[in-house]
Amino acid sequence: MKSSSTCGQEVRAHELDELLERVWTLREQGKNEVTDLLSITPIEDGKLWLQQLQTLGLVTLLQNTVKMTKEGEREAEQILRRHRLAERLFADVFLTSEEVWEREACELEHQSVLTEEAVSAVCAFLGHPPTCPHGRPIPRGACCSHFQKEIKPFVIPLTEAALADHYQIVFMTPKSHAPLDRLATLGIHPGGEIRVTQRRPSFVVRVGETDVALDKSLAQDIFVKQIS
Amino acid sequence: MAIVRNVMANIMSEPKIALVGNPNVGKSVIFGFMTGRYVTVSNYPGTTVEVSRGRAQIAGQDVEIVDTPGINTLVPMSEDERATRNILLNEKFDAVLQVCDAKNLRRGLLITLQLIEMGVPVLLDLNMEDEVTSRGISIDKVKLAALLKIKVKGSTAIQKRGLSDIQKEILTVQPSEYRFSYSQPIEQAIATLTELLPTTFIAKRSIALMLLAGDRSLTTWLHQYIPDEKIKQIDDVCHQVARQFVEGLSYVIYRQRSRYVEEICHGVITQEKRQEMGWAVWLGKWSTHPIGGVFMLLAVLLILYEFVGVFGAGTAVGWLENGVFNGWLNPLAIRGFAKLFYFSPFMRDIFVGPYGIITMGLTYSLAIILPIVVTFFIAFSIMEDSGYLPRLAIMMNRIFKWMGLNGKAVVPMVLGLGCDTMATMTARIMDTRKERIILTLLLALGIPCSAQLGIILGMLSALPAWMTLLWLGVVTGVLFLVGSLASMVVPGHSSDFIMEIPPIRRPMLLNIMTKTMARLEWYLKEVVPLFVIGTLALFFLDRLGVLPVIRNFAHPFVTGFLGLPDQATDAFLIGFLRRDYGATHFFDMFNKGQMDSIQAIVSLIVMTLFVPCLANALMIVKERGMAVMVAIVGFIYPFAFLVGGIVNWTLRL
Ligand SMILES: Nc1nc2c(ncn2[C@@H]2O[C@H](COP(=O)(O)OP(=O)(O)OP(=O)(O)O)[C@@H](O)[C@H]2O)c(=O)[nH]1
Ligand SMILES: [Mg+2]
Ligand SMILES: [Zn+2]
Repeated sequence: MKSSSTCGQEVRAHELDELLERVWTLREQGKNEVTDLLSITPIEDGKLWLQQLQTLGLVTLLQNTVKMTKEGEREAEQILRRHRLAERLFADVFLTSEEVWEREACELEHQSVLTEEAVSAVCAFLGHPPTCPHGRPIPRGACCSHFQKEIKPFVIPLTEAALADHYQIVFMTPKSHAPLDRLATLGIHPGGEIRVTQRRPSFVVRVGETDVALDKSLAQDIFVKQIS
Repeated sequence: MAIVRNVMANIMSEPKIALVGNPNVGKSVIFGFMTGRYVTVSNYPGTTVEVSRGRAQIAGQDVEIVDTPGINTLVPMSEDERATRNILLNEKFDAVLQVCDAKNLRRGLLITLQLIEMGVPVLLDLNMEDEVTSRGISIDKVKLAALLKIKVKGSTAIQKRGLSDIQKEILTVQPSEYRFSYSQPIEQAIATLTELLPTTFIAKRSIALMLLAGDRSLTTWLHQYIPDEKIKQIDDVCHQVARQFVEGLSYVIYRQRSRYVEEICHGVITQEKRQEMGWAVWLGKWSTHPIGGVFMLLAVLLILYEFVGVFGAGTAVGWLENGVFNGWLNPLAIRGFAKLFYFSPFMRDIFVGPYGIITMGLTYSLAIILPIVVTFFIAFSIMEDSGYLPRLAIMMNRIFKWMGLNGKAVVPMVLGLGCDTMATMTARIMDTRKERIILTLLLALGIPCSAQLGIILGMLSALPAWMTLLWLGVVTGVLFLVGSLASMVVPGHSSDFIMEIPPIRRPMLLNIMTKTMARLEWYLKEVVPLFVIGTLALFFLDRLGVLPVIRNFAHPFVTGFLGLPDQATDAFLIGFLRRDYGATHFFDMFNKGQMDSIQAIVSLIVMTLFVPCLANALMIVKERGMAVMVAIVGFIYPFAFLVGGIVNWTLRL
């Protein structure tokens, strides 16, 4: 077991990041058993790495359960944030295949690769997306709360789309499931093409040959990117 | 015995066909073609809100045809959609004719896939071929049929094109062999669930998927087949799978299904770019323009006023009432009945007295109201068929939000101007219970229905112009006030505004005429008898000496508080039966010079806000329950008088 050091900075082994990430995703599914954890990680010597995590004070192990410490939680959150933003970047902007964006995201999730500053830039560029392409939540960063205007976002809410231009829906974030289902059955879903035909007194959009009128508040929750 | 059994067998084996599809795609047009029975056809989604049945002759045998409310998915989100899903669950169909708007094929195929999953035999009809062609879209039906392993036909229902071909083939369809699968956790859950589900004529796989999509209303249905503990197990499985996804399961399932739809559509649809133009697009655009739309609305209201108020209630009524009835028919009847019942003034007065069936009941219903409703129904049908109503929803959405509703409620509200009873049923298209209750209340409170509206317009046209504005101001003001108060009081939550806007279409003369005739028939059958009954009631109350007692009792309210003449009490009495009947009485009094203009406007306002008619009250009980009806009527009754009193006192200051 080694800790590599580049650019004079102490860098944690990628295996540790990987493992911490799994602890987080396991918790998202409501599980915390070590056996579950080890069964899903491809890393060899998982048990040893896990003990290393404990030594670093990032997790606590109790019998068969694993729990993140405050510190570990903060670390994991950043890893997940980098991972899922990277997924979005490769899926939505570079339009690579699922196989490619999943692989790239695994490479980019480490702090040694993607710095805090770079992550914020990517996040702004993507319009501070709330979920990854799998639909899992992306942990919020400092940039997400105060809306930064410096970087012209690539992904914008529908309310800022130009009239009559063609856009593609990247993600939708309504507060509840019900409007999402309704919009979906009318053909408004990620990946679909959409055009704003009117903004006032209500929003009217066109998907395929269907015109749909909707509340502005819903249009704000639909994020799109322009189709060239 | 044998004969009876034969007949029974025949009834049992009579084939049954359901018409299913997205909203506003032409199902009801096709139903009318097949059965010869008219059900309302209009150009907005949600015209049909309950199942209708009819009969057709196909290949020499009697077939039952069922028309259903439009749906966008088989996991229902509102009451009308639930009706469609339920009928597919509870009745066995020999064939399902899925009507699809061909220019929105993707949305249609989402339903096709669900029907295939159900295991029912489907014939897919790509309707609206005329619009598809004009928009430069072409669809390879042969390829589509081969991919889905079902029969696919095309039609233009309004021109009856392609319909007989469909009718010929509909009974030959078989369940499709097409299969498609979902991601592993969902498939695994389906496998677990099918073990627990009962055998019905719907494929278990399909029911499992509905359950996974979170369709709670299915649980009651399941109760009749399987014990509680199994239902509990089912619930557990659903929750467990749901926990694995951040997004709702119904959405996840939808996404996976729509991937198949995309795949299918890929080689089937070709679209050439076309600039859309023409008067319909232009009109549609201006009718929802933030400023232009307001002018359009004013123009529509003006035309309605001129046609129904001035022409219908003025010219046509004047001619019928004064010319035909009072000038000719009534004198003749009075002389005739006087001769016939010379021995009994009592019998004579039943027919031709002051409260006579002919001189009051029939004169009111045929000479005054009939021309008004005919002109109104014509104007109204044109509005329904043009596609203007949903556009009005775009204009009014913000305002309706104040009342705890959203733009979607505009459609039932405007329908209420035709008939509040029907509109109360259309409240089903609203997503939440709270919205349905508020809508029902507002309909009962402040939306005058066709005949009453015509009479109001007729009376207003004889009053100074500012009174028209006063009436409009008071009624809309009351609607907003009560609506916004109700949105605070009624528990529950309101939903977001999401509404499909159909294209502007040219109203077709034949449909306008058929629709007007159908409504007229309803009017003659349902309303005229009520008018006669109301007249009889007044007659007996008068003869028994009860009427003066009631008038005396009501005197402080009617004369003191509202400042109306004593006879106005009669109008309120019959107003309980039907508001338009009460309004007609005011109209009559006003024409005879028994009321001044302030009395006229007060009586109009009170009658507009007066209790819902009997039929509407019964509909409220049926749709929303007794408690809601009692609450609504209990509120409206004193409230209408209060508002009328305030107007009266303000004007007389
Ligand atoms: N251009 C065109 N219009 C059509 C065709 N078929 C139906 N329509 C119109 O489409 C509108 C809707 O027709 P309906 O039969 O009421 O539709 P529905 O499917 O019963 O609608 P819901 O009851 O709301 O679900 C009407 O205005 C029809 O005139 C067609 O083939 N071509
Ligand atoms: Mg219909
Ligand atoms: Zn951000």
